[in-house]
Amino acid sequence: MSAPSHTPAHHAATRPAPRATKVAAHERVEIDMTVNGSEVTLRVPPRVHLADALREQLGLTGTHLGCEHGVCGMCTVLVDGAAARACLLFAVQCEGAEIVTVEGLGSQEDQHPLQRAFSAHHGLQCGFCTPGMLMSSYDLLAGCASVEPEDLPVEMSGVLCRCTGYRGILAAVADVAAEHPDGVPAPRNCRPRTLVGRGGPAPARAGDAVPEARPPAPVEVRLPSGAPSATVEVRTELGVPVEKAWEVLDDFHRLAACLPGAELVEVLGDDRYRGRATVALGPVKLTFDGLAHVVEREGRRMRVLAQGADTGGSTTQADIRLRAEPTEAGGTVLQADAALFLSGRIAQFGRALAGDVSRRMFEQFARAVEENARTGRAPAGPVKPTSALALLAGVIAARLRAVVRRIRRSR
Amino acid sequence: MKAPPFAYVRPATLDDVIAELAGGTGDVPSGKVLAGGQSLVPVLAMRLGRPATLVDINSVAELHGFEAIDGTGAGALRIGAAVRQRTVERADVTRAVPLIGMAMPFVGHRELRSRGTVVGSLAHADPAAELPAVAACLDATIEVAGPAGRRRVPAGDFFAGAMTTGAGPEDVVVSVDFPAARPGEGFGFAEIARRHGDFALAGVAAKVRVGGDGAVAQARLTGFGISDRPVTRDVTDLVRERDLREAMTELAAEVVDTAGDAHGSTGYRRRLFGVLAARELAKARGRAHTSAEEATR
Repeated sequence: MSAPSHTPAHHAATRPAPRATKVAAHERVEIDMTVNGSEVTLRVPPRVHLADALREQLGLTGTHLGCEHGVCGMCTVLVDGAAARACLLFAVQCEGAEIVTVEGLGSQEDQHPLQRAFSAHHGLQCGFCTPGMLMSSYDLLAGCASVEPEDLPVEMSGVLCRCTGYRGILAAVADVAAEHPDGVPAPRNCRPRTLVGRGGPAPARAGDAVPEARPPAPVEVRLPSGAPSATVEVRTELGVPVEKAWEVLDDFHRLAACLPGAELVEVLGDDRYRGRATVALGPVKLTFDGLAHVVEREGRRMRVLAQGADTGGSTTQADIRLRAEPTEAGGTVLQADAALFLSGRIAQFGRALAGDVSRRMFEQFARAVEENARTGRAPAGPVKPTSALALLAGVIAARLRAVVRRIRRSR
Repeated sequence: MKAPPFAYVRPATLDDVIAELAGGTGDVPSGKVLAGGQSLVPVLAMRLGRPATLVDINSVAELHGFEAIDGTGAGALRIGAAVRQRTVERADVTRAVPLIGMAMPFVGHRELRSRGTVVGSLAHADPAAELPAVAACLDATIEVAGPAGRRRVPAGDFFAGAMTTGAGPEDVVVSVDFPAARPGEGFGFAEIARRHGDFALAGVAAKVRVGGDGAVAQARLTGFGISDRPVTRDVTDLVRERDLREAMTELAAEVVDTAGDAHGSTGYRRRLFGVLAARELAKARGRAHTSAEEATR
């Protein structure tokens, strides 16, 4: 057991890689790490992130949790000397790592200069963001030659304060930066001690996982009032006559077969259909159960209302208008206009990406329609879900949409 | 929120990584590569993805490579898949590729760059991400390994759409080679986001090369956050002969095709793109002249 040194920030890259390992989803794995100077061994399943492990296994509740997806910065700790989001790091990844939390920065009797400065400049406010602000500012000033005060708002932008008490916080950091131009002193409260968990819920055991209940299947599509989250307009040309193309669209079974990632589950009557659709995009994979209702059919136009919900609580609704018109060259112009309503977690991934992905899916759908019209059957094999068509078409159910996104970054 | 349950594997060799990724069958989601996790973990936390297995590549020694290499004619900076953004940001050797240094402060926040990897950013292929745009602008080469062996993919062919790349689900991206800057080359980079470190509403990376006569020999411009992937154009003629603001405004109408959202309309993004592109191309041209002068001194 040795007290951590003032670890250089690039230490993370130089630590020898931990041993190879393999852990089943509900199996608990032993992880050895150093926390605030003490060597500890945790036993957690792989899904437990470092912040929860610190709080619940070691009782170090100074590390706060806000958003738990990397936006707010409350959970910032030092990992091998560099600030990192403890909610974006699984404890199992920290085998052999050296962690410093706000408890290690200083003690009540021996505060770190940053802690004293936050107090002196009224930078504490409600205190919820304080651990994140302290650890982020420590990372900024440790080993840093100089930081200009005007750069601080950008440099400290990785942690959010809901009190909006930034002025005091930035003044405190500027003060410490000026006092310690060659870098702030090392953490003052890192030494071997006994870390004891303070209770909290017992860690889950294998088999404890409760499957998430799927929401009851609706029988009517209800569109929310208000402006849609996104609107999509796409048109594409097909190399088949309009009669052939419309035959595909007019037959819901054939139409559904052209929807990437979609599956027609049940025909309900009254031109209503129950279906399932999978949207896969990079690491994102959502499966929606939903309903599609063809509310208008006139000539080569149709209007479809669709809604879908996934197990994660994301819901989407769409109001889709499809139209096929002949071209002079004997082909077909397929046009789709859709209004999308997103809610739940998926809405946070909205951005402009929703429209971009929908458009790409529509193009995939259109190609499948073209092939179906030409050959009289669905494309070889089911259309892969790499992009479900969402909205579009009409369809189906579930649909949905797409979108996804993440928050940032690391991009 | 908490991530759904997943199995965790940390192989010691690249072959083992590939074997683990090939494990999925049928409807069972296969493994996902975990490097820095700064994009993947939020996806898990929001339950937008539920991979059965995370394959942590950080114990594969080969993927920690980070070095200048000699290519044919010019050098390159090779960055392995496990190399952190912060390591790259702070390394002296990175000066060989100035555009990386310009872009890196915009990549998330310090706390994210300490874990996030350069290659992970490319593999994730967020359309608003900075490093894919840098790779596209410089025409970097991305090495991918999979069950069928290894292949090298030019960045221009790698980005296939939003969060979609030329690497398949059973592939792992091994490294990226960024060409080193040569005398007479200058670069520019800028983006506008709601908060520093957030995803860009629109951004540009620019590269200009001037010849011995001081005239612009080549100019490349990459926009990001403006379509479903980085969009690169050769703008040599525009930089040589046109009023840049006017030319970039026209170009914006062509290349900015992303939909509007609550944070900015398509028109606003076009305006951002046009202004940033003109500004950064002008800066890049100036820096190219400075570089050429220093080389002849």
